[in-house]
Amino acid sequence: MSIVRLLIGGATPRALALLAALLAFLVAAPAFLGPYALSVAILILYFAFVGQAWNIMMGFAGQLSLGHALYAGLGGYIAAGLFFHYGIGPWVGAFVAVAVAVLAGCIVGYLGFRFSLAGVYFALLTIAFSEFTRIAFDHWTWAGGSGGLFLKVQGGVTDILNLRGGATLFYYAILILAVGAFVLCRLLLESRLGRYWLAIREDAEAAQAVGVPVFRCKMIAIAISAALTALAGVWNAFYYNNLFPETAFAMGRSIEITLAPIIGGLGTLFGPIVGAVVLTGMGELFTDLTEHLKISGLKQIFYGLALLVIVIWRPAGVWPWLAKRLGVEERGR
Amino acid sequence: MTIRHPTRRDLSRATLAGAALVGAPAILTSGVARAQSGPLKVALILPTSGVQAQLGIACRRGADVANDVFAAMKIEGRVEITTYDTESKPDVARTQAEKAVAAGAHILCGAFDSGQTIAIAQVAEQRGIPFIVNIAAAPQITEQGYKWVVRNFPTAPMLITSGLTLHKELFRVTGKTPKTAVLMSVNDTFGTAMVNGIKALFPKLEMPYELLDIITYDPAAKDLSVEVAKAKATKAELLMPVSRLNDAKLLVQELVKQRWEPMGVMNPGAPGLYEQDFLKTMGKFGEFHISNVPWLNPKSPMTQALEKAHAEKYPNDQLDLNGGFTFEAMLVAINALNRARSTHANALMEALRRTKIDQHVMVGGAIEFDAKGQNVNIRSACVQNLKRKPTVVLPADSAAAAPIFPMPGWNDRRRG
Repeated sequence: MSIVRLLIGGATPRALALLAALLAFLVAAPAFLGPYALSVAILILYFAFVGQAWNIMMGFAGQLSLGHALYAGLGGYIAAGLFFHYGIGPWVGAFVAVAVAVLAGCIVGYLGFRFSLAGVYFALLTIAFSEFTRIAFDHWTWAGGSGGLFLKVQGGVTDILNLRGGATLFYYAILILAVGAFVLCRLLLESRLGRYWLAIREDAEAAQAVGVPVFRCKMIAIAISAALTALAGVWNAFYYNNLFPETAFAMGRSIEITLAPIIGGLGTLFGPIVGAVVLTGMGELFTDLTEHLKISGLKQIFYGLALLVIVIWRPAGVWPWLAKRLGVEERGR
Repeated sequence: MTIRHPTRRDLSRATLAGAALVGAPAILTSGVARAQSGPLKVALILPTSGVQAQLGIACRRGADVANDVFAAMKIEGRVEITTYDTESKPDVARTQAEKAVAAGAHILCGAFDSGQTIAIAQVAEQRGIPFIVNIAAAPQITEQGYKWVVRNFPTAPMLITSGLTLHKELFRVTGKTPKTAVLMSVNDTFGTAMVNGIKALFPKLEMPYELLDIITYDPAAKDLSVEVAKAKATKAELLMPVSRLNDAKLLVQELVKQRWEPMGVMNPGAPGLYEQDFLKTMGKFGEFHISNVPWLNPKSPMTQALEKAHAEKYPNDQLDLNGGFTFEAMLVAINALNRARSTHANALMEALRRTKIDQHVMVGGAIEFDAKGQNVNIRSACVQNLKRKPTVVLPADSAAAAPIFPMPGWNDRRRG
């Protein structure tokens, strides 16, 4: 079966038309969006991308990771460190970053899956790894220690080879990553591996009983998820140009990564994208409201209440409900 | 009662309304041309929610009274301040900076935290908007060759050097010099950076005491009895804490409980000991501790005007270095406008580079920026808690009271 057929097979003409329109809109967006709107669009794409990466673990393979900041932090630090110390550009640095993150993911996965840690126990393991990596980076002078690692910023410079430039460059970089992750996830879901993951998610013991190589499938899931998250970390490091262990490996960052797929719809391809749009849009709306009312912290209260309403109102996420209304439902996920 | 379920039309309306609400600020602001004249629009970008909220709000209070102080000091002009919340996150700081520029801000100011400050600095560099850093100590901020950034706050090495130099000055003035010291530090980003800085600078500064031990602890510690017992066992004559607020309280509580009475509790440049909440909570046991930090110069007429305006507007809140430096950022901005006579970015930046403000509120020389955009004239002050108030006791030309060192014992009646 050709890749194109795998990608669009089963999609209705309406769904394909909407997808094409969305893609065209995203490609053309920098031409008509102002700098502020563009920075919001960048945040949406970033959260959609990392959400897609996390969704492979939780949404497809059913493994709860609450320490994904580990892979983003490692990816960012490795690529930024190589660039800062040796002038190695991020396109090369990203390979090293991904390799290190995959290795870390495999260690976490091996310990978790080999010893049958599941659910919250596996989640605790992921948190523990993220935490002690943070402490290690606090004392690693090559990475700047607790004082942080800073990349030089130059205004008005566009250098694609070294990923140096303005918001438009980073917009297209994260757009390519987000689209790439979407295509990859679609292909994975249509593959035998994808079917195995869904079987494991629904009932790991039953899957094992019918011959699914559960351990291997879970290891592949964590490796792919870690690799994609590390790429997000590389992008993040070069976009913001500074890294601190306290924020790069923070629990809060791990939680942020999980929100878009949970709100959008776990295990769905469009869930992380819709979740990122809803969460970022809502965040900006409440920020404006808070600034208008001049009450600090009001945003967090509204934001929390809105999340509560969404979770109660649509426990399966916003996307399955929205897809039904748009007539573009994904097949049985 | 009949419940009316939403129809598809209702849904479409709601979706359109939601989209309009979300998109409106962007659409409206993206087309706003940057004003070339009129009042100076300052975007004050601070963490007013999240983990740094209290500190960000303390900063904002200093800016809130800026126009009143300008009027009292007969300084021409007014600043039109719009506050943007970073939520204590660098990514939000960057988006907020973009929003501020799109809304027509002439000058950006912030952001208390180094990571958030650098995120804003990138927007300033890329969009060509002057950025005044009120508080952020990472040396890299002014070491990267930014063209649009000035900082009126000391770097971490400046803080440590200035703080340790004041230790020697205090011993000279009081005639009492401890021979040994122990350093107790929180092991977060700030604490680790301070400990590393002290280790590096200690030999160069030829300190008169021997550093017997460095004891670190977690910022979330709920009990410091073991750490304090360990420090007490060193028999050090001076305790140097690098603390935050809550651990500073735990530390002093343990000192009292364990009846350890060193000659002094004196930090080398850290928060905690001078903070309003510490003073309120610790009562008489919060007295006589010393912080060597940048502080408001009580002898400056502008500080007196600032304290008066702050007390009138915020009678229940203490004015500290956060408010002081943020006020000074507004002062630097209005001073630049008055010399540039234009709100054009290039004119303002050129004026900022040539800043020289002799009369201001913080201890130290005139506010002026070197080629890197750093004010190198800032000095720390020896701030001792006296009568439940942080009081400048050194340098002598800024002192509001004489230093008391060694500090009285815990049962000494002067503490009452």
